[in-house]
Amino acid sequence: MSEELLLSSRETRGKPGLRRFAMVIDLRRCIGCDACMVACKAEYDVPLGVFRTWVPYRVVGKYPNVKKQFLPRLCNHCDDPPCVRACPVGATFKVDDGGFVLQDYERCIGCKACMASCPYNARFMLPEHRTRTNITRVVDKCTFCYHRVQQNLVPACVQTCVGRARIFGDLNDPNSEVSRLVANLPTQVLRPEEGTKPQVYYIGADRNQTEYGRAVYQQNDFVESERAAFNRKHGI
Amino acid sequence: MNDFNVFHTLAWPGAYAWYFFVIGISAALFFFSTLSWFRKEFEVLRTRAFYGSFATLVLGGLLLISDLSQPLRFWHIINPAYWNMGSPLVWGSILLMAFGALSVLYFLALRANNNGQAKALAVVGSLVALGLPVYTGFDLTVHQHRPVWNSSLMPVLFVALSLVSGAAVASFLSGGHSDLLARLRAIMSWSAGAVAVMLVSLMVTTAYGGSASELTWLFMTSGAMGMVFIGLGFIGGTLVPVALLATPTGRAPVGMLAASVLVLIGGIALRYAILVGPQLVHTTY
Repeated sequence: MSEELLLSSRETRGKPGLRRFAMVIDLRRCIGCDACMVACKAEYDVPLGVFRTWVPYRVVGKYPNVKKQFLPRLCNHCDDPPCVRACPVGATFKVDDGGFVLQDYERCIGCKACMASCPYNARFMLPEHRTRTNITRVVDKCTFCYHRVQQNLVPACVQTCVGRARIFGDLNDPNSEVSRLVANLPTQVLRPEEGTKPQVYYIGADRNQTEYGRAVYQQNDFVESERAAFNRKHGI
Repeated sequence: MNDFNVFHTLAWPGAYAWYFFVIGISAALFFFSTLSWFRKEFEVLRTRAFYGSFATLVLGGLLLISDLSQPLRFWHIINPAYWNMGSPLVWGSILLMAFGALSVLYFLALRANNNGQAKALAVVGSLVALGLPVYTGFDLTVHQHRPVWNSSLMPVLFVALSLVSGAAVASFLSGGHSDLLARLRAIMSWSAGAVAVMLVSLMVTTAYGGSASELTWLFMTSGAMGMVFIGLGFIGGTLVPVALLATPTGRAPVGMLAASVLVLIGGIALRYAILVGPQLVHTTY
């Protein structure tokens, strides 16, 4: 992407001297083993019921020609993140070098404006009780494993992916694997129309997965009742 | 179920609708107290409307703080060192603080019978009060991916809702003064009419939007949310009161009060539906 395409001062893709980390998820290689979810849970002690990364699936086709389509999800670490704009107290911020969108737990007041502004449902409220940490009742999200990347490691989900479906790297480096993949293969991002410049690129995503479908409106009632029970239990 | 997704919760639950409701009433009541300096028929409302405004302002502030998951950190949002001026919530906190301060000064001026100062404070306070429904509208508008919310109508709709709800409360405080009731009836009718026009416009635009908009329209016009939005909010709380106020019964105090009750029920129903409805589709994404 050329620098002329930058629309906001927050965007760092293509800015010289800065890294812009991104993830490419090759859906042709994803087998839906959920190891990424488990690795993420283990890395951060993510409580039950909330997820920094998750792998929804949709069964498509007609018997006997059916298949499961997986769409691993996480924070898109947008180049122009609406959550940063929405946070009234600056608890959500973007790290210029790397493009990580992070959360300051000490500053967050729990107004949930960032959750309302995220087109990807990537943010969640931490429940009141946690076993191993006292970070509770603030908004949390995927950090692209900022602490690991600072030590030249890849994110936990990338490290653990058995099919090597998740690839992580610096998009501003033209020689990185993610740059080559994005340059040479057709990729999709989620909800590009929102102008958030998401930095998670999918190879082989199907519109069945990336867009709202009418099935949303015809959900079984038990989904809503389970959601309500979950919310009650977690004081959400 | 052939699909699997994790649960996503509503970012902003129904409690915010009550906040929008009371803060709109607070702003409108202050405006009516200000009108008392310019229109004789509003004089009876000068102190009553102001007390109502202040009480609802305090209630609104408490609702807002109690809805934070970290209520003890509410001071972060009134600390200029933390302000992110791009967020409408910051402008809201500034307006709420300014409005609170002006209300206290106005109260002191009223108590001191300093009419000149009170009148000036009332005018400035009204301008700040106008900002309250406007900012609540912008609170929703700025979220570009939310159908219904992301509409330039929102701030104007919230101003109209504020006026109509405030006029309904003021009619209970009017002490039965016929001139005042006639004025309040006109305000209620015109603002409720404006609300109706805006809601039709909003819903038609939403129904013809993209897939998320269309699904939101389905959620908001059918089932339980349809009952709240269309039944209680649009028909029961907007169209019926407008029709009632146009009849001879509506011109009588009892009809006016009946219309006010309907308008208040409709006011909270509309705010609830507009707040929660557009979040439903997204919880499944």
